[in-house]
Amino acid sequence: MAPLTPYTYIQCPCSDVSPLSRSNDPNSPSTAGADDEERTFDPRAPRSNFSLYPLEYLLYCEDCHQIRCPRCVAEEIVTYYCPNCLFEVPSSNIKSEGNRCTRSCFQCPICIGPLSVASIDSQPDPNLLAAPDQAQSGTNILICSYCNWSSTEIGITFSKSNGIHAQLAKIRNGGAPRLTAKEHKEKRKEEAAQSRLAGASSPESEQNLDVETQFANLKSFYQGQLAESSSGGNGLSSLGDLGFASPNSLSRIMSIYTGGSLHDKRSRSRVGTMREALDSDEGLQLADLDESAAISKLQSEGYEATISTDQLTEQPPRLEDAHLHGRTRFTSELRPIPYLLRTKRSKRCPVCRHIISKPEAKVATTRFRIRLVAGSYIPTITIRPLNVPGGASPTSPPDALVPLQPAQFLLTFRNPIFETVKVTLATPSKTPGRFPSKVTVLCPQFEIDANTDVWDEALNKDDTDKDRRRRRGDENNNGGNGNGNGNGNGNGNQPEAGKIWERGRNWVSIVVEVVPASLRLDLLASTANLAGGEGIDAGPLREDEDILEIPMFVRVEWEVEGGGDEVGSAPGKDKEATEKRELAYWSVIGLGRVGQS
Amino acid sequence: MSKRHSIVPPISQAGPKPPVQLSSSLTIADSAVLTGSHPIAIHGETVIHPRARIESLCGRVTIGRRCIVHERATLGAVGVSGRVTENAVTLGDYVTIEVGAAIQAGETVIGDGTTVGVQAKVGAGAVVGKHCTLTPHTEIAAGEVIPDYTVIYSNGMRRTDRRGVTELRNKAQARQIEVLRRMIPSNPAKFA
Repeated sequence: MAPLTPYTYIQCPCSDVSPLSRSNDPNSPSTAGADDEERTFDPRAPRSNFSLYPLEYLLYCEDCHQIRCPRCVAEEIVTYYCPNCLFEVPSSNIKSEGNRCTRSCFQCPICIGPLSVASIDSQPDPNLLAAPDQAQSGTNILICSYCNWSSTEIGITFSKSNGIHAQLAKIRNGGAPRLTAKEHKEKRKEEAAQSRLAGASSPESEQNLDVETQFANLKSFYQGQLAESSSGGNGLSSLGDLGFASPNSLSRIMSIYTGGSLHDKRSRSRVGTMREALDSDEGLQLADLDESAAISKLQSEGYEATISTDQLTEQPPRLEDAHLHGRTRFTSELRPIPYLLRTKRSKRCPVCRHIISKPEAKVATTRFRIRLVAGSYIPTITIRPLNVPGGASPTSPPDALVPLQPAQFLLTFRNPIFETVKVTLATPSKTPGRFPSKVTVLCPQFEIDANTDVWDEALNKDDTDKDRRRRRGDENNNGGNGNGNGNGNGNGNQPEAGKIWERGRNWVSIVVEVVPASLRLDLLASTANLAGGEGIDAGPLREDEDILEIPMFVRVEWEVEGGGDEVGSAPGKDKEATEKRELAYWSVIGLGRVGQS
Repeated sequence: MSKRHSIVPPISQAGPKPPVQLSSSLTIADSAVLTGSHPIAIHGETVIHPRARIESLCGRVTIGRRCIVHERATLGAVGVSGRVTENAVTLGDYVTIEVGAAIQAGETVIGDGTTVGVQAKVGAGAVVGKHCTLTPHTEIAAGEVIPDYTVIYSNGMRRTDRRGVTELRNKAQARQIEVLRRMIPSNPAKFA
């Protein structure tokens, strides 16, 4: 079993279920609210997966004084850019040209490596030393330098070395030219004119259409049909089909509620019988069910010529191509993938709409204009096991906790802000879940000094040493653990209730003692029987159920200088008046796996 | 020669000195390592980079013409079995063994024009065909037979190279060797 590194996750308040549960239970709103206040947070609940984040993922809104997670912030796109050529793409181009790079940036369809343009000079003549004209007219191909794929494998070469995207749009696999929709229309017009001259119908009615043209043909055909049929009489059409299954009766019923406009349109359109599309000019495309070509290709080239699902999903949608009818099964059907554009996004607070993160608009810079990360507002918590010489568990292995044997951990809180903060911790005495472990926070209330200049500590080193010793001795604790105050400066190495273990410039370490539960299922059943035993879950150990996770409610209080910039402050108030700030959130502390005995 | 010193500890020429058969047009760096008891034959215009390691403990090592063996590459590494065969490693012509690649001994053959990528491993007894490309970190199991023009990429995926540029590649290799000959001071006398 892999050893577990201790971790701390913080719950974002956006996923607080209390308003939801209240709305679900309208009969007893007050009791539901009270329950939520009292209830301890369960890190194993399925919902918790979506609300717990490491501190590094969280942002902080300075105006709401609240933590914001990636799920609750509103994102806005600042720029689109190509990750390969780092060119910024204006958003107007995105609408017209799609979300892929339209320059010469392509990914290999085989291995998604970047493709580069290379020229293959056809039989270079050693007598001609430098012929720039010839170099220009030479054929270019795309090659992948990783898997050695080249565009010659799908029969595509380019006449120019730049503007590959535009050139590629005009070539089918195999080198045949491809017409755009506009060119198609013009070509068809010419053909029609020619056939009229010849006085015979066009023999090419069964041509292969690409998806875009087919759609355009179908659309124009059915629009024509609608126009023809609606020009007919407006008689007692709706009486014509009174069958229950007909869509008209449904629309009639709907029209009673919606006001009739829908009914009128529909009924009028149903007057004349509509014809279906009959040939490719009208958008009819017969599916090519003859797969003998594919089978013979498979027989001759084998498995190697087929493409994998990954390669298929990487392919961009090919609207400009003929309907493939499942033909994208061979590597010869693959096309180079234009790079997907990426974005830089700014993030807004969902409540007050203030921007809490905004990157620099320039593509090449990685700096941010605004970035309010939670790590610079709320204390970081680091965990390490405490091995006391002669203490409770000196020989416990670091990777697995011994069941039913007390283990001590050191939690270090580091204060990032420039004010002294007061921290209050609360944990349930037993962790939630099937295997409740006992948890005791030895010092649940303490103060952390401000994050002052780093040099302060170094310059006043003698003082701080003394200071630290003094503070460790008689940290005044006004929490519930008053009995810790009595036996003052005794043994410094022994963790005591109500005492801070160690403190520094802007950090404080406290001790948490846990008694991990035994993971034996028979024991679980017996304890449950003793407790009354209603509906115990004696199933086998589930995934990660052996991880000891402590839900911990952290409440941070600090004072700030009088809120001059605060909207609500009265103008007559004293500027020097301090304002109390408070932030409270649930966090989950994962200590390690409990060993199975 | 400049007096720059590497921070890497000096090469220890441990082990027996093998009988060698070196071409006169060879470029072999002073700090390359040739060890073993069986003969090592290196043919014309091949370049052996500094700190490349060629071991003939398990049999004869033959390197063809115009090959490049890069730094810290190991040819003829003693495998798990450690059995002695007549030919430990045979490289064809125009073979490139990239940095840190390892080729185990035991009738292992690398065909003409093949590139063995950075940190790739070729097991004992594997026969790699001609003009293959093994991308970095590829591992070829012992005894495997790789057909000609195979590209092995991304954790063992395989495809056939249909570029048909073997001539161009050979030309490029020759040009690269031209440059390397000027860059790497050769000292074949040390190994003779």
